[in-house]
Formats: sequence, structure tokens, C-alpha cells
Amino acid sequence: MNNGNAGKKRGPASSGSEPTTKHQAMIEEEEMDEDVFFDETLLQEEEEALRNAEEREALASHLSKWKRPLLSAAYLSQSQSIIFQQLEIDYVIGDSHKVLMPNSSGPAAILRMFGVTREGHSVCCLVHGFEPYFYISCPPGMGPDDISRFHQILESRMKEANRNSKVPKCVLRIEMVQKRSIMYYQQQKSQPFLKIVVALPTMVTSCRGILDRGIQIDGLGLKSFMTYESNVLFALRFMIDCNIVGGNWIEVPAGKYMNATRQLSYCQLEFDCLYSDIISHAPEGEFSKMAPFRILSFDIECAGRKGHFPEPSHDPVIQVANLVTLQGENQPFVRNVMTLKSCAPIVGVDVMPFDTEREVLLAWRDFIREVDPDIIIGYNICKFDLPYLIERAEALKIAEFPILGRIRNGRVRVKETTFSSRQYGTRESKEVTIEGRVQFDLLQVMQRDYKLSSYSLNSVSSHFLQEQKEDVHHSIISDLQNGNSETRRRLAVYCLKDAYLPQRLLDKLMFIYNYVEMARVTGVPISFLLSRGQSIKVLSQLLRKAKQKSLVIPNVKRQGSDQGTYEGATVLEAKAGFYEKPIATLDFASLYPSIMMAYNLCYCTLVMPEDARKLNLPPECVTKTPSGEIFVKSNLQKGILPEILEELLAARKRAKADLKEAKDPFEKAVLDGRQLALKVSANSVYGFTGATVGQLPCLEISSSVTSYGRQMIEHTKKLVEEKFTTLGGYKHNAEVIYGDTDSVMVQFGVPTVEEAMQLGREAADYISGTFIKPIKLEFEKVYYPYLLISKKRYAGLFWTNPDKFDKMDTKGIETVRRDNCLLVKNLVNECLHKILIDRDIPGAVQYVKNTISDLLMNRMDLSLLVITKGLTKTGDDYAVKAAHVELAERMRKRDAATAPDVGDRVPYVIIKAAKGAKAYERSEDPIYVLENNIPIDPQYYLENQISKPLLRIFDPILKNASKELFHGNHTRSVYISTPSNSGIMKFAKKQLSCLGCKALISNEDQTLCSHCKGREAELYCKTVANVRELEILFGSLWTQCQECQGSLHQDVLCTSRDCPIFYRRKKAQKDMAEAKLQLDRWKF
Amino acid sequence: MEIDAVAKNFQRKLSVYQSLDERFEIQKEMYRGQQYSQIYFIRLHKMRSLLYSLVEKWKPDVPVCTVLGLEEGKECIIVGTLYKHMKLKPSVLDEYSKERSVAPLVKSHNFMHPDDQLVLEDESGRVKLGGTFLAPSMFVTGLVVALHGKETSAGDFLVQDILEPGLPPQMQLPCGSGEDKYVVFVSGLSVGSNTSNPLQLQLLIDHITGHLGDEKEQSIASQIVRVVVAGNSVEITLGLLNGQALASKDQSRLSEPIKELDILLTQLAAAVSLDIMPGPSDPANFSLPQQPLHRCLFPGASAYNTFVSCTNPHSFELDNVRFLGTSGQNIDDLGKYSDAEDSLDFMERTLRWRHLAPTAPNTLGCYPFTDKDPFLIESCPHVYFVGNQNKYKTRLLRGSEGQLVRLICIPKFLETGVAVVLNMRNLECHTLSFSTHLDP
Repeated sequence: MNNGNAGKKRGPASSGSEPTTKHQAMIEEEEMDEDVFFDETLLQEEEEALRNAEEREALASHLSKWKRPLLSAAYLSQSQSIIFQQLEIDYVIGDSHKVLMPNSSGPAAILRMFGVTREGHSVCCLVHGFEPYFYISCPPGMGPDDISRFHQILESRMKEANRNSKVPKCVLRIEMVQKRSIMYYQQQKSQPFLKIVVALPTMVTSCRGILDRGIQIDGLGLKSFMTYESNVLFALRFMIDCNIVGGNWIEVPAGKYMNATRQLSYCQLEFDCLYSDIISHAPEGEFSKMAPFRILSFDIECAGRKGHFPEPSHDPVIQVANLVTLQGENQPFVRNVMTLKSCAPIVGVDVMPFDTEREVLLAWRDFIREVDPDIIIGYNICKFDLPYLIERAEALKIAEFPILGRIRNGRVRVKETTFSSRQYGTRESKEVTIEGRVQFDLLQVMQRDYKLSSYSLNSVSSHFLQEQKEDVHHSIISDLQNGNSETRRRLAVYCLKDAYLPQRLLDKLMFIYNYVEMARVTGVPISFLLSRGQSIKVLSQLLRKAKQKSLVIPNVKRQGSDQGTYEGATVLEAKAGFYEKPIATLDFASLYPSIMMAYNLCYCTLVMPEDARKLNLPPECVTKTPSGEIFVKSNLQKGILPEILEELLAARKRAKADLKEAKDPFEKAVLDGRQLALKVSANSVYGFTGATVGQLPCLEISSSVTSYGRQMIEHTKKLVEEKFTTLGGYKHNAEVIYGDTDSVMVQFGVPTVEEAMQLGREAADYISGTFIKPIKLEFEKVYYPYLLISKKRYAGLFWTNPDKFDKMDTKGIETVRRDNCLLVKNLVNECLHKILIDRDIPGAVQYVKNTISDLLMNRMDLSLLVITKGLTKTGDDYAVKAAHVELAERMRKRDAATAPDVGDRVPYVIIKAAKGAKAYERSEDPIYVLENNIPIDPQYYLENQISKPLLRIFDPILKNASKELFHGNHTRSVYISTPSNSGIMKFAKKQLSCLGCKALISNEDQTLCSHCKGREAELYCKTVANVRELEILFGSLWTQCQECQGSLHQDVLCTSRDCPIFYRRKKAQKDMAEAKLQLDRWKF
Repeated sequence: MEIDAVAKNFQRKLSVYQSLDERFEIQKEMYRGQQYSQIYFIRLHKMRSLLYSLVEKWKPDVPVCTVLGLEEGKECIIVGTLYKHMKLKPSVLDEYSKERSVAPLVKSHNFMHPDDQLVLEDESGRVKLGGTFLAPSMFVTGLVVALHGKETSAGDFLVQDILEPGLPPQMQLPCGSGEDKYVVFVSGLSVGSNTSNPLQLQLLIDHITGHLGDEKEQSIASQIVRVVVAGNSVEITLGLLNGQALASKDQSRLSEPIKELDILLTQLAAAVSLDIMPGPSDPANFSLPQQPLHRCLFPGASAYNTFVSCTNPHSFELDNVRFLGTSGQNIDDLGKYSDAEDSLDFMERTLRWRHLAPTAPNTLGCYPFTDKDPFLIESCPHVYFVGNQNKYKTRLLRGSEGQLVRLICIPKFLETGVAVVLNMRNLECHTLSFSTHLDP
């Protein structure tokens, strides 16, 4: 699994290509609490009466068979402890509970935990009594009287700021506590802090604002305060204080909870309890399992108008397909599709046809309510399906539709958000909040975790499931809808498939296990993992650890992004070349985490420069890092970050050991997900310290880490080249040919993989001995042969045992870039295969030459030449003319219905055009090219597409690579087809020519001119051979499409341009017809 | 006819020949963008009306319904096209698969896998077939059958019984005059192959034309009324035709085997009626039905009116004995996607299925017909032959309604030196073996 996160990426350092990367800011949205007030007026369900009572009953009984299992008597009598796995935690503002909280009144924050019990019951646990708070440092000399005065002043200021609030008291309490700031090494163990407890979570922010700006205190004057832990989201604060981690099991003992008097949610078990009565179970043993939660995968189809992408204000929702699966089962237990107008039955699927769109939408809402899914998945549901449904309901004025959450009167909220993060880039999205249900959009996950050339459902499923998906163009969807019940059935089958694929991806890639484990390891709710960046995960761990140590974390004001850059990772100069001797690779295992542990780098061990002299620390107790910072050693103060890292790595070791022992496949999945999550978390700690606009940046730490990293790479290089020499008794002199962030490539000069492994191990052990623990150099693999192109670009065969190589490993060589055509990828792969595996350089050269010749002779499969780019805006919005935008405009003029719209990907090829035409004018629709015989421009492909990547590979191998590959005999014959639609062709007269020599023949009955008559047999063989090949191709392509479509008796409709055989299929059809015509000229 | 002047003159026997190839001819058919769905549709349509009439006799009490009409737990009969989902089936998409595997793909002769799954499809939909009654290894995609069973709660169709169309009705075998008349079948001459043995082939021709042996043998030779060459007559070095312009030396390499074949065929055609069918390695089109080899390839032989270039599959009547045969592709393809004891079993199945090539177009190349399925067997032949098999095999098949069919697997002549002789009088078969090895 090539997981982007799981790879050897270390926060910011990985993205730079320069040896000394100037780090830019990492921008992450500020986390803010947003109070949601509980709406007491339950929505009247009178509109429901409008619908035919009978029909409603029928629908209700239809839906009721998918209800959750009934509650047992023990649950009903409240005599049983409730143990459930929580999936989502949020809070609302409501009146404080009169029984549980007899001493308070007025609005209070009530936390809600949604989850599932082992039996599959849905749970809504309302937690009372937990209050929002933060800290400030106590000004020296403040006594209890001063505090109460301070309390009054603050209260009055808060009242002003929160005039609209009905809260009787804003600042509930101010307590003096003994804490210490996490920042900088301090000799005294603790100092007084004030813990300010406020009434509502949002008041933390307003109170912080008041304290930041300064407050007038008698005797002290205007004083502003630094706040601590005032930026912690309320739900997270609760989880930290109650030791709850994302997705763990919660127990509320019998007698400690009370069932709600009036159910506010649709959950089977809804109860109130005090936060102090909650028992949080660590995810171990029995509690590491997953509850049988319900996962709904759905997809909608809309009938767009010709030439427009569907818009909720105009275009109806015509079908909704749903699949519900219980976690841990491999088959969905509900399969249904709701259709507008009749639809023929589908085997194994509940088809639910309705006459109006309103009924479809409401049926879906009822379905959600009845099935009560815990997790909602789909492909692009967050940006398309869910907002579309909601906006459509709005357009149809169905007010009662958007109650999809678990709270009885809670409408879903749609919010436009932009999410930006250094690691994931900026994404615009709509955020639809469905209370109590986790949304898990597979598209977002894919974009987050995998680097792919295309994220269409088709290409993602062909990548991971090795299946092509049928793609029905949205202009056809309306036609199918307007047909009969059979055509609508066709559409329904397609819709179901789109709903099924996300579920299959989820299962195949074990997302549930991996994400739940990540939530458990980092301690954040599952929903945070998708909607927020990396830093919240580290912050959560930091806060937990700090709490144990009585440390508090300051809320540092945001700093501008311009300041604070530091030197990044080092890359040793690459000695480019083709190495035909084994190259051993020495890797630092988890380099950055180990450095932080080895040198005790942390916020709380950093010595401020002015303190360095003042504190008069003995030199043996401090470390001065290569970047000049001073940190104390662990005997004076153990760092928190090293401790977190140690725990993460130890836990990973444990998980890996357990994984070996584990038998049960589900347990295995959990453990594997966990070790992966632990690894990713350990690696993200460094990035957290370097995020200049993050929660708690500390460039002293991150620059020290990278400086140590650089030093170690240099050190390793020096040691290897000193020790492994002929003088030292070795057969050859070792040479370091390349070094990356955390690895060094060594050529020991020995001819066999086995010897190289031997020496690699020896070197790793020897050098590891010179480092402080736990920094460790490991020998992992040998590359043989190894093609080193430049830094961060190489390819080689990867050996971990001396008998057989594991795979071909490439880095930085164009194989995934999406603005390249497929030809480049194929060519590069094939060449590397020939060079590295077959060890056949002349063969590789010949292959390139043949390909170039094919290209020039117009024998290339067009699909290999298609370049695809996403159309993100319309033509006018682009400042620079781009090929795909121009083409989209031109296509719109030809036929608005099939032209690509904003959001579509535009495939194009570059065609031959008048001299001097700009590249963007030469783009053309591949289908149009096929239909009209338009010649492509081989020169463009040679120069702009294949030449650079090829030269990169061949330069280290061949002298004069460019001359050898791109000039010579194979480039001399060129074939250009005559376009059938160009202006001049309208005046041309078509004449038959001899099939042998192209001489014109006057008599229509003849095939050959008199000169070629003698070669009749040979020429016939040639024609018929051409037909043969096309027939083979035609057969295999069109039967494949039938296969994907899953039907033999219906015509193939698919127009998926992502499919690699789409153009070939089209071309085969056209070529076949032509070849057949030519064959028919040979009259029998 | 000039034979040995000293010996007795034998008159070659005559027989009445009627070609039934018309339905295999593509003639004016064009590729107009039609797809393969039509041929499946026609096949299902024709076979279904046939099966419906049989079902009345088979299980008159069980209701018949469509895939869509299935109801859980209700026993019924459904008729549809089988589709076999095969894990190992090669796909054109494999070329595009992401990770090029390091080990070269193992090319297997057979693509079956224990996980193969049968599905039944009609115009309305598909249903998975469950239960152990049907062994997927016996069946192939494209076959139309009637199934008795019921839908399970999982949405599968639990099969309890199957009805295949069975042998088609047969014309009465003519009583004939009681005299022996022989038809010789030969296939896989592979002229131009590296291992080709011209002497062996010449022996065969000399034998048929009566230039070999004593009077007894010549008298038997004179009773040969027809020779059928069932495909793969030449072998053209592959790859020669891929390039664009051919060098003159390649031109001769290309046409040499064809010229040689023409010489051989001319000798035969001068003496006996001759049918030549195209096969997979011949210079003809690839898809079934393969169209006749062009006359221009055989300037010599085509001058005789005894020379008939015909389609593959090939069907004809000789003295009212009906022949049907192919050059082997249909049976070879069944061998790749299903399992049987030997090729004869496959042949028997195709007759019982009343379909010459059910795997076309799915895995066997085929022209996308729109209005007919030429491979349906409407009338049972008396002789059913298949060329280019590994071994000579024959069997007399008796149908439930008294049909009698001679099944013949014609071996590759190049490899075995064996031609097959059929006596039309009693449908008995024997072989002619030619060897040029001197050792016993």
C-alpha cells in the first residue's frame, strides 16, 4: 500500500526538493467552538398528513424490516450497564439537568456521545456537568481576595460582551491551581495559575479576547494576560479530561444514568449522566473490537438538462441507491433504490418507485431515520450528493426533508468551508452537518491518503479493485429516465453500482479500521480526522500528556508566515549513473522521532538564550544542537515530546508483535491499522513543531532536528568511506553515491547482492554504535542494478534477500503525473523494465525507436496520446489560454450537450495545425480526431512529452542519448493521414487507387493496376492480415465492454473517457469498417 | 483420366454435392457500428421458443418465468443465456494493469478456476446461480438453457435441474445404393512450416489420386468421392505481415507456401472433388464464420471446377448425407473455458446445445450479426467433423429420437501424418497413416 501518509514523509521536510528548504507556513484553520442552541419546539409533523396515509403505511412497513434489533428487558428496566463504542461527540446548549445538577440553573453545555452497543443498539449519551475552562498565569502576589475582585471585574466585562446571553453567571469560578507552562526549561517545579471556569464554551473565546486586550485591575493597572489552553475545542477538552479517545468503548454503570423523560433523539438508548460517572475503556483486549455499526453507502442520480451540469434549482433527483452494511460483515443487508417513476425489478434489490420527487426525497429521509446509519459513506457525497439533496428539497420547498440527523428536530446545516493545510493543500468544500452520524466521503479520503493521477470513481476503482466502471454520460441519464421502466432499471443498476463501489473500497482498503485506530491513537474524534489537519492530532496527544504532568500549554498568538524559516533536510550530492554493482542502502529508522528522543528535544527542555547564562547549568547537563539551541538533558527534565514518541513507538512495536500473533482477521486488521496510525503519528510530531502558524510552533526544535539529521548523514558518509577501504582490509573502497533525508546509498564495490548485504549489515551496526540511542542506522535493502538520475530521482531493483529481487522501485520518475499522456508512462515503465530486469539496454533503445517510429507512422493507439486536464473554471476566468479550456469552448460550439462542463475532466490530443499555431489552438477532442482522420502532431509528443523523461533515464547510460534515440533511420518515414473534414477536401475528387502501389485505376472493378497483378496473392494476404488483426481487436474490446456493463443482451452505452480502451474501442469499430470495405474490393 | 497404362482403369465414383454454406457467408454485411448484443438477443429469442416447447414436455407443472419475475422460494423454470464469471479469463484490460508483474504471465491452456461462477441472464436481468447441481466447469458463456429451481433469500437462484435443447431433429439417413463411397478429411497440412514434410504430404495426394499402391488400393482410391481440407493448410511466419513495406525476399517467403499449396491442391483437384476450408492460420479473416480463401491465392487449383473454396464452419450434403464441420476453433475455445474428457465430448455438447460455437462472440471472435445467429444447429448432421485436433478420435452418437451422428476429430496432418476416411455407406471411419520414417 503506497500510503502517502505512511511513506517516509516527515511533515514539512518531505515536500521540498532543495537540500535546504525554506519552510513556508503551514496554514490551518483555527479551531473554534460554535454553540448550537437546543431548539425546544419540536417540529410539527403535520405536513406528513398531506401524504396519502395508506401509502405512508406501506412505506413504513417496508422500511420497518430494516430496524435495529429490539432492546432487551435489561435495557428497558435500566438494570444493565450501558457499554457502547462512541463514534461522534458534540455538544449542545440546553438547560442544565434538574436532577443531576441540582445546584445549577440556566443554559449549560451538554455533551452528546453517539455510539453503538455490542448488540447493535444506537446510543445517545447526554453528559452533564462538564464545564469549559482555561488557564491564565497568576500575577505574583495575588491573594484569595484579589481573586474574587478579579472575578467580579471579569464577570462584568463578560456580561458586556455577552449581552444577549441568558446565562445568569458567565464566569462560574476562578480557582488557583499549581501548574507550569510547557514552554522553556524552568527550574522551579510549579507556579500558581488561575483556572477560569465559564458557563458556555464560546465564552472561552470571548473571555480570552478580554484578557488578551487587557483588563483594569486595582493596584495593578491595565494588565493583559497570556491565556493557556484556551484554544481547545470543548468536545476535545472533555475527551482529554475524561480520558476518552476517538472510537473507544464507554461504560455507564447501571444506576448512574437516567433515561430521558422526553426522547430528543431517534436513538434507541437515550440517557443522561454525569461526566464523572463515565468509565472510559482503553482500546485493549475485548475493547479493541468494533461494534456492529451500520454503514450506509449511497449515490444519487439527477436528470440534468442538455448541456448543463445538474443544478439543484432546476434538475430533479431521480434515483437514490442505498446499501447498508454492518461493520464486520462482507455483504450489505439492505440494498434498495428509490426511483422517480416506475422501474422494473432488479434481482436482490428492493426497488421502491415513487410518482413524485417529493416522495422520493421523503422516502429517503424516512429510510435514513429507520435504518439509522452510524456512518454515511459515498463518493463525493460531501461536495455533491448531500448538498444537492438538501438544496433540491429547499427548491421544492420540502421543509421537513433535511431532518436527517439523530436529533428529532435537528435540521442539517450546510456551511461553505475552505480547508487548507500544508500537507493536503487547499480544498473548498461544503460542510453538511448531520448530527450523530459520521460522514466519510471516500473521495476526500482518497485525495488525502493517495496520490493518484485521477480521482474519478472509475479510475480509483480500477486502481484498487482492478475493475472498470461503466460510466453513463449525464446527457444520457435524462434519456434513460424519460424512457420506460426498463431504461430506468438500467439507470438504477448503474446507480446501485456507484453506491456499491465506495463500500468495496472501504472494505478493501480497511478504512474503518485504519481511521478508528488513528482516532484511538491520537485521541481525537473520527470526524476530526477527515475535516481537520494534522496538528490537532499532535495537539491532542500533547494536551493529554501535559495534563498528566501538570503542565499547561500557552495559546501562542499567531505569527506571520514570513518569519521563521529554517534549513531543511540534507541531500548528499547524487553521483548520477547506472550502477551495475549492488548498492546497499542504510536507513535511519524513524530518524526525526529518534533524534527528538535521543537529544531530549522538547518545549519544556529548551533553554531560553537569556536563561542559559542566568541558570548557570553545568555543561554536562545540556546539549547544544548544531543549529545553536540549548536543551537540557533528561536527567534535569524529561521532555514531553520524547515521552510521547517513546510511547508511540513502543506501542507500535507492541502492535506489530501482536499482529504476528493474531489469528482473527478482524483483530489483525485492527492491529495493522493501529501500527500504521502510530507510525504516522510519530512522524507528524516533528511537523507540528515546525508549523509556524500552527498551534504551538517551536522552530528551535524543528531546526535542531533537521540540523542533527544533516549532521548524521554527513557523519555516516564519512565513517563509511573511512572504514570500508582497501587499507582497512576490505576488498574494495566503499563509495557513498547518494544520500537522502534519512538514507545513504553505498557502493561497497562487491559484485554480489549477498556480499553487499553482509557489508551493509556490518556498516549499519558499526555506525549505529556511534550514535546516541535510540538513533539507529538500519540496513534494509540493496539496489541492484541501480539507475541514479539525480537527487530524488532514481530507479532500481529492490532486494531484501539475496535469492530473488522483490520489486522494481522507482522514485521521482514520471509515471503518475497526470498531465502526461499514457504513452510516457508506458514507455518509461517498459524501458526501465528492459534496462533493470532484462538488463537489455540495446533492447530498451530499440523499443524506444520502435515506439517513435510507430508514433511518426500514425500507428499509435490514440488512447495513449490523450492528455487530460480538469476544467475548473470557464474560459473567461482563465488568465492564460490553456489547451483544454479552448477545446471545451470549441466543443460547446459544436454540440453543447456533450461538451465538458466545469468540474469535468477534458481529454484532448494535440493535432497538426498551421505553422506557428499556438499549442492551445492545437488541442482537439480525441473522438473528433478519430472520426475525421485528423493527423496528430507527432513532433509535439516527441518534444514535449516523451523526450525529457526518456533522456533522464538514458543520459546516465548512453553517450549522446538524444542523438541515439531521437535521430536516425527510424525517424525518417512519416505518415500523415488526410483529414476528411478540412476545407480542401471538399474540392477533392475521390479516386480508387491500386492497393499495391497507389497508382490510380480507372476501372472501378479492379483492385490492382496491371503492374501489381502478379503480386495479387501477396497483396491479398496483406489486406486480409490487416482485417484479421482488427477483428481480433474488435472482438476483445467490445466483449470486454459487455463484461464491464454486466449484460450480454443490451448495447454498451458507456462513455467513460477514463477507461483505457474507450478510444481504442471506437477506433477499432471505425478501422474495422474501413478494412472490411477494402477487403470487399477483392471480389471473389 | 490417365492412370497407369498397364493397370486396369478405375472410374472414380460420383456423388451429388450440395453446399449449405450460404448462412455462413457474410457477403454484403457491413460494420456499421453494431454491437454484439444483437446476436445474443437473436440466439436467446430462437432458443427460448424452442426450449419453451420442450419445457411443456419436461416439467409441465412448473411455471415458467423471467429472471425479473423470480420470487423468493417459488419454484419455477427460467430460460436465459448463461454467463460464466471467470477469475482467470484474460482481458484486454490486463495490458493496462498498474503493476507489471515481475514474473512473466503464465500462459495456460485453460482459464478455469474453482471460484468460477455461473450467472443466468435474459433481457430483463441477471441472477447468480447457486447450488451444486450445475458444475461451472461443464458450461460456457453464451449458452441458452432452461433451469428449474427457486430464488433463495440471498437473491441467488438455486438450481435443481437443467434442460438443454438436446440433439436437433435429423433427416432420415438415405439408404443409398449400398456401395462404398469414401470422403477423406484432412487438416493441418501447414505447408511452409519449419517441420513440414513434403514427402508425407505427397504420399497422401498420390494415394488419393490413385498413383500409389496396387490395384486393390487403387480401387479403394477410386471410391473416394470428396476430399475435405479442414483448415490450417498453410503456415505463414507470423510477424511478416505486421510491418509496412515488405522487402522482396520477404515477399517470396510470404507467397512461397501458398504457391506450394496451390501445386498440391491442383494435383488433387485434377483427380477428385475438393473442399478447402480456412482455418486459424490461413490467410483468411479471423472472426467466425471465416470466409472462403480467395481464389487468387490458388491460380492453379481454382481453374478446376472440382475445387471448392468454402467457409468455416462448412456444411454440405453429399448424396443426401449431411455434413457439418469446422476447422477446430469452436472446440478449442470450449477447451479453454470448460472441461471435458476429450474433444468428442465437446462436440457432443455443441450438438446437444444445438449451437456450434456458444463462446462466440464472448471469447471466440465472431462477426456482429444483427439478424441471425448462423451457428445455431437447426438440423442434426449425419457427420460432424472438427479439424486440427491433437488426436484422431471418432464416435457414433445416437440421439434419443433415433438420430445417428458420426463425430470425427481430424488430427493435424503435419504432426500425425493421419487423414481420416469416412465410408458414407455405413458412416464408418478409418485412418490413413503416412510415414516417411524408415524404421518400423
